[in-house]
Amino acid sequence: MHMLTQLASTTPVSGGLFEALGIDWKTLVIQIIAFLILVWALGKFVYPWLMKSVDERQANIEAATKAAAQAQTAASDAQVKVAQLLKQAQANAADILATAKLESVTALAVSEEKSRKRAEQIVSDAQAEITKEVIGAKKLLYNETLELVAMATEKVIGKVATSKTDSKLIEDAIKAVK
Amino acid sequence: MAVRLSRRKITGYIAEQLMAGVKTEQLVLQLAAFLIDSKRTNEVGLIVRDIEYELTKRGIIAAQVTSAFDFTEATRLAVTKLIKEKTGAHQVYLRQFIDPDVLGGVRIDLPGMQLDTTIARRLTTLRTNYKK
Repeated sequence: MHMLTQLASTTPVSGGLFEALGIDWKTLVIQIIAFLILVWALGKFVYPWLMKSVDERQANIEAATKAAAQAQTAASDAQVKVAQLLKQAQANAADILATAKLESVTALAVSEEKSRKRAEQIVSDAQAEITKEVIGAKKLLYNETLELVAMATEKVIGKVATSKTDSKLIEDAIKAVK
Repeated sequence: MAVRLSRRKITGYIAEQLMAGVKTEQLVLQLAAFLIDSKRTNEVGLIVRDIEYELTKRGIIAAQVTSAFDFTEATRLAVTKLIKEKTGAHQVYLRQFIDPDVLGGVRIDLPGMQLDTTIARRLTTLRTNYKK
């Protein structure tokens, strides 16, 4: 606290501001010139090269970014196309499945109809055959009965017929003819 | 060259001679001689049939009757009467044949006509007509 008060109370040094600040103006000029030369040299030789590098880097980055964007777009397009293709494929598959189902149902129905008709035909043929056989058997039985009756009649009449019965038979026949 | 006589003329002649009362034996001899001479003996069956036909036209019937038993007189008369009624003949000659196979009834064979009332015939009809 005492030191600060002592400094504040010191009287300003004569010789201007540079001297007060401890700056040598000659050194300052030289330093400015050196600085300008440095700036010029940097601007002439270093800065263009640096800028060129930066520009190239910038261009590379931009190109990479653009390529990435294009790749992303292409990927996105590809994804959309894949999705469309998948959807189309699903639709086609569904169509094919539906068609196959329809065809299978139709084929099944046709097959069932054919089987039913075939079965009906077989039953009908069997019934017709049975009927035919029954008719044939009845006819055979009838004819055999007829033959049997005729034979029996022959035998019986051959045993029982007499001259008297024959005369009666002839008289009746003559009456019937008249 | 001898003219070939038709069967119709021959049978007509024989029938006329029979109707005129010429003896049957004499006519038979004449006919046999003629057939032998003209080499037509194979026609004898046809000629006899035609003579019967010619006689039928003249009212004389030669009927062949077949039965299982011999006729009684009443049956014979009944058959003769029936033939007369059916043919209009005024004279009927019966030639009877006994055939047990007919079983019963009578079969009358006339020229161009047959009347069959035999049981054998009826049984044959039963066997044939009613057979399915």
